[in-house]
Amino acid sequence: MRSPLIPEMATQEVQLNETLVHLKTESETLKSKLEEERAKLHDVELHQVAEKVEGLGQFVMKTRRTLKGHGNKVLCMDWCKDKRRIVSSSQDGKVIVWDAFTTNKEHAVTMPCTWVMACAYAPSGCAVACGGLDNKCSVYPLSLDKNENLAAKKKSVAMHTNYLSACSFTNSDMQILTSSGDGTCALWDVESGQLLQSFHGHAADVLCLDLAPSETGNTFVSGGCDKKANVWDMRSGQCIQSFETHESDINSVRYYPSGDAFASGSDDATCRLYDLRADREVAIYSKESIIFGVSSVDFSLSGRLLFAGYNDYTINVWDVLKGTRVSILFGHENRVSTLRVSPDGTAFCTGSWDHTLRIWA
Amino acid sequence: MSGKTCSSSSSSSSVIHAQKLVDQLRVEASMERIKISLTAADLVRYCQDHRRSDPLLTGIAASSNPFKDKKTCVLL
Repeated sequence: MRSPLIPEMATQEVQLNETLVHLKTESETLKSKLEEERAKLHDVELHQVAEKVEGLGQFVMKTRRTLKGHGNKVLCMDWCKDKRRIVSSSQDGKVIVWDAFTTNKEHAVTMPCTWVMACAYAPSGCAVACGGLDNKCSVYPLSLDKNENLAAKKKSVAMHTNYLSACSFTNSDMQILTSSGDGTCALWDVESGQLLQSFHGHAADVLCLDLAPSETGNTFVSGGCDKKANVWDMRSGQCIQSFETHESDINSVRYYPSGDAFASGSDDATCRLYDLRADREVAIYSKESIIFGVSSVDFSLSGRLLFAGYNDYTINVWDVLKGTRVSILFGHENRVSTLRVSPDGTAFCTGSWDHTLRIWA
Repeated sequence: MSGKTCSSSSSSSSVIHAQKLVDQLRVEASMERIKISLTAADLVRYCQDHRRSDPLLTGIAASSNPFKDKKTCVLL
């Protein structure tokens, strides 16, 4: 039953509903216009432009090192800029720093939570960041003294309201970018722990992020369970481009080395390439025989090869320009969960649910 | 504006949400886009320009790749 005050409220409500209808119509019109504009530019396919490019020969890539030491699934890894050290994190809460040349463990930290889903090396090589089910991103300075307890110097930087899915230092040790199951990304000042910028727009968990190569300016791309990949302006917090062509969660995003495109890997078993200046998807890397999700992707230095780790334990190597698969690599005994090419492009590292990391070259 | 009914305040939050969506779409629609024939040519050119300095592509010799084991070893 409504009270006698209602006449004004009823009018307000009618007005609000009218505004809502008007806005919905406008958003539908804008969406169609966007699709039309994008379609106009689709004058040719990437592989057609690449027809005259020489095909790639046979690739012989093998496991050159196996890093054993984690007691459970490896979830994430990152290279140090020195091209030999690696940080990895695991479901058992352990974060380990390795010398990939010798396979020796240099540092180990036990986090207070399990499922450490994200880890990153600081550009200076002097610290690592990690987090997961604790909803935080913490930074550990690495000590030269191997006996020192790293956990004592731990600094909590980021606080989300759900799990931390990915983290990355920006081009210095001073700022960290995070993504979370709470649907947001955020930029933090490491020293003070202050939130510098937050990024809202995903409709579900954000699973991955990648920063644009420094020459191309202050943007980053994120991918989520809403099947969208969003490109963000780091200074304003604005989403500047959005791509929704995947049919399932996007687990990994990585910029093409020139910064003009990015690749994504999804639970829909495909990898895709999105051209930022054409504002659309320009290639799909898939095969009928590949039915398991892609967990992680990375480019070789020239951008010609795309390495992708899959939930069927394999790594597929794709010719980015021609859209064909050039190699399939076996070795892991469970899902490949993380994959990164080394900073000088001489090798790539994979982490797996089989508890190991492998270096391939 | 006190005393709003529940349905009215959820209408106004729907309106705020819808307005944000429209604003976001306007930003995206205003972008200047370039034809794929041009942008794809740039992607191809980048690959070609950098192919010689891509060790995983060209396959570098064991002697210069720290991860590939060298055949000989020196006994001290």
